[in-house]
Amino acid sequence: MGRIVVTGMGIVCSLGCGTDKVFSALQRGVPCVGTVRHLQTSHTELPVGEVSMSNEEMMSMLDLPSDSVVTRTPLLGMVAFKQAVGQAGLTDATRTVFVNGTTVGGMEKSEQYYLEFFEGKHTEYIGAHDCGAGTEQIGRLFGRLDAMLTISTACSSATNSIIVGANMIRSGRAKAAIVGGTESLSKFHLNGFNSLMILDGEPCKPFDQGRNGLNLGEGAAYLVIEEEESALERGAKPLCLLAGYANACDAFHQTATSPEGEGAYLAMTGALKQAGISPAAIDYINAHGTGTGNNDQCESVAIKRVFGDSVPDFSSTKAFTGHTTSAAGSVEAVISILSLLNNYIPANLNFTSPIEETGLTPVTQGKNVDLHHVMSNSFGFGGNDSSCIFSKIE
Amino acid sequence: MAVYIQSAAQISIQSPLCDDWFTDPILREERYFRSEEPDFKQYVDPMSARRMGRLLKRALASAKKALEGETATLDAIVTGTGLGCIETTEKFLLAMLKEGEQALPPSHFMQSTHNTIGSLIAQHLKCHGYNNTYTHRGTSFDCALQDVLMQFDLGALSSALVCANDEMTELYFQLFDQIGYWKKEDVKSEMFHNASSEGSFAGEVSATFLLERDRTEKSLCRLDGQVLMYQPDELRVREAIDELLRKGGIGWSDVDGVVCGYNAARSNDEVYARLMEALFPDVTQIYYKHLFGESFSASAMGYYVAALCLKRGEVPSHLVFKKGRTTTPKHILVYNHFQNKDHSVALLSC
Repeated sequence: MGRIVVTGMGIVCSLGCGTDKVFSALQRGVPCVGTVRHLQTSHTELPVGEVSMSNEEMMSMLDLPSDSVVTRTPLLGMVAFKQAVGQAGLTDATRTVFVNGTTVGGMEKSEQYYLEFFEGKHTEYIGAHDCGAGTEQIGRLFGRLDAMLTISTACSSATNSIIVGANMIRSGRAKAAIVGGTESLSKFHLNGFNSLMILDGEPCKPFDQGRNGLNLGEGAAYLVIEEEESALERGAKPLCLLAGYANACDAFHQTATSPEGEGAYLAMTGALKQAGISPAAIDYINAHGTGTGNNDQCESVAIKRVFGDSVPDFSSTKAFTGHTTSAAGSVEAVISILSLLNNYIPANLNFTSPIEETGLTPVTQGKNVDLHHVMSNSFGFGGNDSSCIFSKIE
Repeated sequence: MAVYIQSAAQISIQSPLCDDWFTDPILREERYFRSEEPDFKQYVDPMSARRMGRLLKRALASAKKALEGETATLDAIVTGTGLGCIETTEKFLLAMLKEGEQALPPSHFMQSTHNTIGSLIAQHLKCHGYNNTYTHRGTSFDCALQDVLMQFDLGALSSALVCANDEMTELYFQLFDQIGYWKKEDVKSEMFHNASSEGSFAGEVSATFLLERDRTEKSLCRLDGQVLMYQPDELRVREAIDELLRKGGIGWSDVDGVVCGYNAARSNDEVYARLMEALFPDVTQIYYKHLFGESFSASAMGYYVAALCLKRGEVPSHLVFKKGRTTTPKHILVYNHFQNKDHSVALLSC
């Protein structure tokens, strides 16, 4: 079995639409987390990383009829999906699969119409509620794919989609896979995170001693991954390697992380083992770094367990985008690959002092560094922890 | 790479955590019927159970039942669920819509994420291995099974739990009713044989399978392989079955039965009837949704049915949809489709 390469990327998040806009915002160091505009919530005090386009704007961008029954999560997904497939120059859907991660699914409309559903109104959105419904709407943009799958492991959904797509290729079930995730903001999960008291009313401060919670965001991102040989055969231009990945379970608590960060440790070490490289080879970690007390402390502990005294450069880019939950894994995979290809580490914004117990300081100013191997971490509720490693083709 | 189904456990609208349905099926006529609950105390301590929604208790009980007597370490837990813990999701949603966006109960939100099921099982079994959750409508379980099978192929696993969990709350039953999922009248068994209208009848399923690399005395059957497809034409289905038969080292004439998801809804059943007529006109067709109802997790019971028929060497008459040539079942295909979009076919052998 040959190597797995990335041949296309697509992204939409609060920083903008497309890899160029997102990378330039990261370089400028300007976050895009602020007052809610599109989501109808009374919690206007909570900063969010909202995509600036309205549903109608996205529908018109995608040439969808204005009466389409489509919710925001698949709309965001379609925008990113088209970019990824376009960059990869993928035209033949034979033996190509789509693995999509989402948790919110069609909740954005269900929460608006739920009570009316029972009166027989807006019932066309009942069938658009579940996670798989949106996957199909996105995947159908491509014609007849060989298979579609939906994954929902909360904030690691998109990373697990990357892992499953890669395993489908390695086991001979597919020759190419479009993988990643999409998630719109919803009143449901904004209030859910708020009820858990893990939302910061100010811009989030990942890995800072004074961190006070996360800011939610929304977005979508997909990668096209392929077996190297078959990608080259069809004339595609590989961007980088998906060198290693692993999924593990913290098996500790439904929403909290174990103090020793066991799941995170197993995910990172598993990815290193699969990539066949030593911890010292990692040049940059795009950390999960949500800004909650629990995550950042445990992730720091796990990073120290894996990397010992020589922790590589790391940053969380969630202060730029907000936490895009089920899309975070692929949004940050795209950011990691942009970092790798441009030899640029984006800043961990809003950091002033390290967490006392672990003493780790992230990269606080964006900088140019020669990068070869980049790790991206995504950890979900329930301890669904996954890591990926992207490497330059050398 | 051969994989064996070592055990299976289910909680559904049949008697829970046993295989009584194989010999003494209960035929429900109500359009809506909730699962019969087992005595959860044997599987979940009452203190923790108090904080769990119904589906979580069922998921844990069926997982522990499937593992009964097993001490081997578990490498993976993979779950399929169309809607996750919809009961707690509804509670949080209704509280938010009726009482506003303040002082909402976090426990209902915590249990609303689909992966709360698989991660709770991992917590209780202290399993740090691979953990994933699929939410792909009527093929959620089939996707979960594929994940495990491909990792067996890659040599990444030697044991795994594969689970299916969906509950049908009264509210969700009503919502699905609005969009034509259910028949408007009581369900008679003859409806399954001559589906003239749309709509099925509702079920609930929590099912868990233990898969391992080696055959043991208790193994129910071997799983030779499985293929997922999207909107396949007949040629694609033939290719998929060819591939499975090659893996199983058999030919088309060695297939003793095909398990199909007939559910009494015309457009659903037509797909199976057409495929069977074209591909397996003389082969026994086996059905199961007349016993377990329709739900996003229902297809898991198709595998359970095939596994038990292979283990016991017979297809009981109440599971025969259409009688073909009479053979002792050695190789059974399990075919599932959702709205003729997502399809799955698997080969199970004794």
